[in-house]
Amino acid sequence: MNSDTRLLELEDLRKWFEIRRGFLSSRVNYVKAVDGVTFSLEEGKAVSLVGESGSGKTTLGKTILRLYEPNGGRILFQGKDITHTKVKDLKWYRRMASLVQQDPFGAFASHFTVFRALEEPLLIHNTVKSREERAERVFKALEEVRLTPVEDFAYKYPHMLSGGQLQRVAIARAIILEPRLIVADEPVSMLDASVRIEILTLLRRLQERLRLGVIYITHDLATTRFFSESALIMYAGHVMEKASTREVLRNPLHPYTKALLIATPDPNPQNRSRFKEVPPGEPPALVDPPKNCRFSPRCPRAFDKCFKEEPPEFEAAPGHWVKCWLYERS
Amino acid sequence: MGRLKMSSSKRVGGLKGVLHEVLSYKSAVIGVAILLFLIVLSVYTMVTIPLPEAIQAWRSSEAWSRNPRNAQPEWVEIFYGKKLPRTIIVPLKDADATKVLLEDGRLAASWTVYFNYEYDDFPSEIVMFFNSSYSEKPAVEFYWIRPDGEEVFLKKHVLRRPDDRLYLSNDLSLELRLEGLFENKVGGKPSFMVTVEKGLFAEYSLDPRVLKGRYGIRFETTLEKNDVLNAEVVIYGSVYGLAGTDHLRRPLLIGLLWGTPIAMSFGLTSAILTTVLSLIIGTISGWYGGKIDLVIQRIVEINAVLPFLPILIMLTTFYRIDLLIILLSVVVLSIFSLGIKGTRILVMQIKSYPYIEAAQAYGASNMRLILFYVIPKILPPVVPGMISSVPGFVFLEAGLSYLGLGDPFLPTWGKIINDAQTNGAFYKGMYYWVLEPAFMLILTSIAFALIGMALEKIVNPKLKEL
Ligand SMILES: Nc1ncnc2c1ncn2[C@@H]1O[C@H](COP(=O)(O)OP(=O)(O)OP(=O)(O)O)[C@@H](O)[C@H]1O
Ligand SMILES: [Mg+2]
Repeated sequence: MNSDTRLLELEDLRKWFEIRRGFLSSRVNYVKAVDGVTFSLEEGKAVSLVGESGSGKTTLGKTILRLYEPNGGRILFQGKDITHTKVKDLKWYRRMASLVQQDPFGAFASHFTVFRALEEPLLIHNTVKSREERAERVFKALEEVRLTPVEDFAYKYPHMLSGGQLQRVAIARAIILEPRLIVADEPVSMLDASVRIEILTLLRRLQERLRLGVIYITHDLATTRFFSESALIMYAGHVMEKASTREVLRNPLHPYTKALLIATPDPNPQNRSRFKEVPPGEPPALVDPPKNCRFSPRCPRAFDKCFKEEPPEFEAAPGHWVKCWLYERS
Repeated sequence: MGRLKMSSSKRVGGLKGVLHEVLSYKSAVIGVAILLFLIVLSVYTMVTIPLPEAIQAWRSSEAWSRNPRNAQPEWVEIFYGKKLPRTIIVPLKDADATKVLLEDGRLAASWTVYFNYEYDDFPSEIVMFFNSSYSEKPAVEFYWIRPDGEEVFLKKHVLRRPDDRLYLSNDLSLELRLEGLFENKVGGKPSFMVTVEKGLFAEYSLDPRVLKGRYGIRFETTLEKNDVLNAEVVIYGSVYGLAGTDHLRRPLLIGLLWGTPIAMSFGLTSAILTTVLSLIIGTISGWYGGKIDLVIQRIVEINAVLPFLPILIMLTTFYRIDLLIILLSVVVLSIFSLGIKGTRILVMQIKSYPYIEAAQAYGASNMRLILFYVIPKILPPVVPGMISSVPGFVFLEAGLSYLGLGDPFLPTWGKIINDAQTNGAFYKGMYYWVLEPAFMLILTSIAFALIGMALEKIVNPKLKEL
């Protein structure tokens, strides 16, 4: 990999949430929502982040956007270390990295029109000075997300638009500052099945055309094939498997990934039900978890070592990493 | 994963839309009409009677010397069904005198002036105001000419000062003389007490009846050559103007009029300041959390158990009291209200909405988030409460004035009630004195209450069913 094209690098990234038991208790526990994530993303490439509910996908996304400050590890964006940069010094990064959220209905302040909602980032960053230019940028963004004729949408309030339309506006808002990275957190999971593919296709086209780095967070392993180059399988704050999307889908190595794939048999993504927890049992509680493989209690192939020690990531095939003792080379 | 479903509340299209909606409630139309009336009244007052003048006049007793004391408003006639006397000022001008040169070089001067008296009741008081210049104090004789032509000698009076005043009503010897005259004419003791006013204006009968017609007053005196003698005979009525007068002869109308802008601005300013500042404090508390939140919450809790009125009374007794200081004390004591708790919870809830997170992701500062994202959400619901809280503040100011703790210079409604109380208005049957300011107070609170209620229904549509 050429380091010049590296957009984002995460090294052993950790985000632990502090929780206090009781009012006066000084004992602090941690929810280890993201616990040692390493990966890198190239400019203009998309990566899928797949995992069950509660596996820490959103937390990882927000930590990458520096909406959270990490507890450990490093975040490098275009080679710059932004791990602990103060919020007030992050303004440039806010332009470079943006967010598309899961719930389009909650993503907009109800007292802003679409125009105003899209104008806000421009106003905050003061990139465009004149009102006319701002209007031009807003209309261009609306065109990019195919909300045309733009005048029909620009002056509407959020409650006048459908979920799909709102998610397009959210995408328009995410690209209006011409960022290099977009974190799309389950961008279609709350939408009607009929518009999911449309929105994902739109996102993919924009990503390719604008050479955006995209982190696509999803439950749905099946859609990753069409929308990303590589995939990260997350479980309980750990990355269990990472490789190119094609490799993960064709040749899953981790027992957890295999279980996920069995759960999504239909090749037509439109008919695919969302991932259901097929492996028996529940994901472990993330409050001060024991030092072992976090999937071991549910793993059909677990052996002694799995319950005692946390596995490192093994490169089972070139570019194919698995966090599982089964792939330890003896 | 629990998600907060945001209520997509209907947006009202701007101020015009709100006004339109408010006016769809009949009660609110009345409220707005009253409010407009009060506003017009305030503006009218401030334009026609500038405040310094009003304060000056309100504090001086001289300005009102020609007004009757404790006079009822003119419109009370409706209830009595008879014509009550207005104040009549009879001027005696030096220029109108007939002057005859005497042998010793002095002048014998005499005036006769006439006036009509057509009222159904006796005047309340008669006073002569002199305005003269002389080298030697002149002695003046007064004669009273009744409509039937009868002439009665009233009194001989040596001027004590150039601007001497003669209170005929208090003149006991005159009263006794008139009583004697009366008994003579009627041939018995009349059924009423013959006061100076009655002695002069009553028919000669056993019952007190006003003799209507043309009365005359004649002055006779001897003056030095260059002496000038002007006088005014003021025959005070028992009614005055739209609102009557108080114990210091001040027209209550001025107090009532000036009370309006004072009450309205005090009420509105305290309501707006209190509401907005509470909102900001609550927002800061909810938004930043942590130590700031802790401190604010404790202040609110302490403030809730502190007795508001005693502290206010203490403050106003220790410090120089003027309206601004009262306003500031009231605001400071009210901003840490329990309402802050509600705002705080609301803000904490809004803070967790996805659109705030989205805005943080595109770089919105805390300041911007609070001003443009949070406040516009929480402000509309508190506006009705703000409007409804205006009467409370108006009453508070009146209450403080009533307790004698108000601004000592300004004429306010509370002060009028205070005056009425200390002068035993109710005891003496001067109901108008208390009822007029009370009416204004009630009018003001009704206006704000009606509008506040309508706004409440708009902001909180569930109340529409009530
Ligand atoms: N602010 C927080 N404070 C404490 N714990 C948190 C916080 N945010 C998330 N968590 C915990 O961290 C873990 C990961 O949560 P996260 O929302 O990242 O999961 P996710 O993979 O996005 O799930 P989903 O698919 O349901 O969106 C969960 O156990 C969650 O309860
Ligand atoms: Mg999530």
